[in-house]
Amino acid sequence: MSGLDFYARYEKKGVAKYVSHLDMVRMFNRVFRRGGIPIAYSEGFNPHPKISFALPLPVFFESECEMLIFALSEPMETDELLKRFNAVCPEGLKVTGVFEGKANVKDLSFARYFVKVNAPTSEQIDAFLKLDEIVVPKKTKSGIKDMNIKNDIKSISIADGGLLTVVAAGSNANLKPDVVMNAMNKYIEDYEGKSAEYLRLEILNSQMEII
Amino acid sequence: MLDIDEILKKVQKPAAYTGGEINSVVKDKNAVKIRYGFCFPDTYEVGMSHLGIKILYNCLNSRKDTWCERVFAPWIDMENEMRRTNTPLFALESRESVRHFDFLGFTLQYEMSYTNVLNMLDLAGVPLRSCERGEGDPFVNAGGPCAYNPEPLAEICDFFTMGEGEEVIHELMDAYIEWQNEGGKRIDYLKKIAKIEGIYVPCLYDVEYNEDKTIKSFAPNCEEAKPRVRKRIIEKLDEVVFPEKFIVPYTGIVHDRISIEIFRGCIRGCRFCQAGMIYRPVREKSSERLASDAEKLIKSTGYEELSLCSLSTSDYTKFQELADKLLKITEKEKIGLSLPSLRVDNFSLELMEKVQKVRKSGLTFAPEAGTQRMRDVINKNVTEDDLLKSASLAFSGGWNTIKLYFMIGLPYETDEDVEGIARLSEEVVETYYAVTGGKKRPPNVNIGVSSFVPKPFTPFQWAAQNEREELRRKQKLLKNAIHNRHVKYSYHESDVSVLEGIFARGDRRLNDVLIRAHELGCKFDSWNETFSPEKWQQAFDDCGVDPFFYTRERDYGEIFPWDFVDIGVTKSFLRRENEKAKKAETTPNCREKCSGCGANRLCEGGICSVGT
Repeated sequence: MSGLDFYARYEKKGVAKYVSHLDMVRMFNRVFRRGGIPIAYSEGFNPHPKISFALPLPVFFESECEMLIFALSEPMETDELLKRFNAVCPEGLKVTGVFEGKANVKDLSFARYFVKVNAPTSEQIDAFLKLDEIVVPKKTKSGIKDMNIKNDIKSISIADGGLLTVVAAGSNANLKPDVVMNAMNKYIEDYEGKSAEYLRLEILNSQMEII
Repeated sequence: MLDIDEILKKVQKPAAYTGGEINSVVKDKNAVKIRYGFCFPDTYEVGMSHLGIKILYNCLNSRKDTWCERVFAPWIDMENEMRRTNTPLFALESRESVRHFDFLGFTLQYEMSYTNVLNMLDLAGVPLRSCERGEGDPFVNAGGPCAYNPEPLAEICDFFTMGEGEEVIHELMDAYIEWQNEGGKRIDYLKKIAKIEGIYVPCLYDVEYNEDKTIKSFAPNCEEAKPRVRKRIIEKLDEVVFPEKFIVPYTGIVHDRISIEIFRGCIRGCRFCQAGMIYRPVREKSSERLASDAEKLIKSTGYEELSLCSLSTSDYTKFQELADKLLKITEKEKIGLSLPSLRVDNFSLELMEKVQKVRKSGLTFAPEAGTQRMRDVINKNVTEDDLLKSASLAFSGGWNTIKLYFMIGLPYETDEDVEGIARLSEEVVETYYAVTGGKKRPPNVNIGVSSFVPKPFTPFQWAAQNEREELRRKQKLLKNAIHNRHVKYSYHESDVSVLEGIFARGDRRLNDVLIRAHELGCKFDSWNETFSPEKWQQAFDDCGVDPFFYTRERDYGEIFPWDFVDIGVTKSFLRRENEKAKKAETTPNCREKCSGCGANRLCEGGICSVGT
């Protein structure tokens, strides 16, 4: 017997990177209706479609590993779902796989990013990671506060055309790689990362396994 | 394709400039003969909400030889970035400069968007004046409700389209292909299309003025141009194409939903209302066709809301039947149905209960004037009793917020009429307490008061517009007359209304003022944060044009700049209506009795079907 819980992996690239997270919710709602996919609605006075996302993606970021979690009101084959999604997704969104069951996102702890940027040297990166504290201004609900982000940076390494970095992600701790770039600009002498572009590659659990 | 990636990172709403939305049309530019830029002189959020652009985009792109793309006015932040990086105005679909498109077609929905037309031409690098454009430059044309008085833009646009565009747009494109094959000059194309019904080519007409600056004569200067230009209508709406797909934006827009047009025209004949006259005669679309349009659009867009578009929803003849059909569809698809401009009665309240997703949101009424005498003057056939009955129905149905729309500065208005707005609003509050016994939460009666602007092709086209100080005095008078704290009063800036009035009834001499205002930096004049009355004052001063010439009362004998346009409704009908207004006499609506407005002349056999 088929279940009604599903998740889909998708890419968000090109013009879609300008679409905010809030707009994505509305957009997927319409993707379901266009595709004739029977999304389930919540109970209650003001029913809304059962759609959620593993990890919001900031505007201007591209991603290869977005995850949409949803429930249907009647069972459907995953192959058919994949076909229907891609027939009605706008430019920049591409669903790469649809899976039955509940996505294991509760343990989501890290995300790996590729940053397209002029990189510092590996010595500079090592020295940066060995600092006692890495303090940057960070926006919080109560205004801008200085925060020590050292423990939220798991790794930084040089890659072809830029940097690879793994940072904390999820509900417990969450760090965006542009904040890491700001910190490197601040702490690494004579270095300025210019017009950085961000691509999310993977989301990981606490054991550093790909979700 | 222009690279705008870097500048998009610096603007508030990048998703408004990318194109690529679902259902947008991308063609091979080498496989088409005509590149058409459909220009909306306001932001993406406003322009994308407009139904006309969707209709004509679909008409033009249904042609193999034409690629129609969308062009909007960039908001201030984007314009600054574009100017800083020398990025020209571009079309969304191809992201290419519109500088060498074949056509740039503007829709004129409100006078306060005129400076944006100029700013967009400037950003595109296209010469502002028609006479400065040469071979290889785009043809700049305009249509929409404000094009019925095209004169304030007569030296800027190469031609205008009067009326509904679904058929004439094809005639224009066919003529263009013909002209290209003939290898003619720019003026040859303009003379060619001057023969098409509904097309006005300003440079083919000469204007002479009297010493008092009024028009002495207005006449064609060549045989191709017609002395009178008659507007185009689509007589049978069921037989005309309506888009089966709407573009679905990536980001929120003002009206982010499906909109289907249930009829054109209006049976009511309110004397201040231009739309009520220029869109006559009334023509309805069948409920079968509307249901099928709705179903197709829901499938192709995935929208969660369907809305009806017309001047007065309740006047659709078989409204109950239509509502039943649409409800069946919207319930099946789990989407909302919104019913704007619905008269409030038992039936409509029951319907609203059924369709409204949001609980008991506000209800809106438009009595327009505060006293019965004044409502008779403007032929708004609503009595105080009607309003209070509707309000009491709404209150007993659980609503507690009501919005009331009024106007001040109407012709033949007295201070008593202005104060009457306060009195009527307070009666609505009292009705609430009478109905609910005061046991529930207090009511909100929000009154929005705008300043009347006399418009061409209305019975009030001869009327004087109140000056700024007089409007301010009346606003204050009304404010002081409101004693009930449950009545909340808001009003429109009088500066904007006066400027709107100047351009609404303006002539060719305003082209200079408009260009000067653009040079001084005027843009987005309908937006509070960008409107600058000081700059406008300077533009009038610099050009030696007296703005009050345009707001004055006019004689019946005067030749108006827009007299050469035949909208169907005759000048003698409008004059009769103005005379009745002076005596506070009402005119029945078209279904009760034909008043001989003249719009029937546009229909086959001279018979106008208003329904029963």
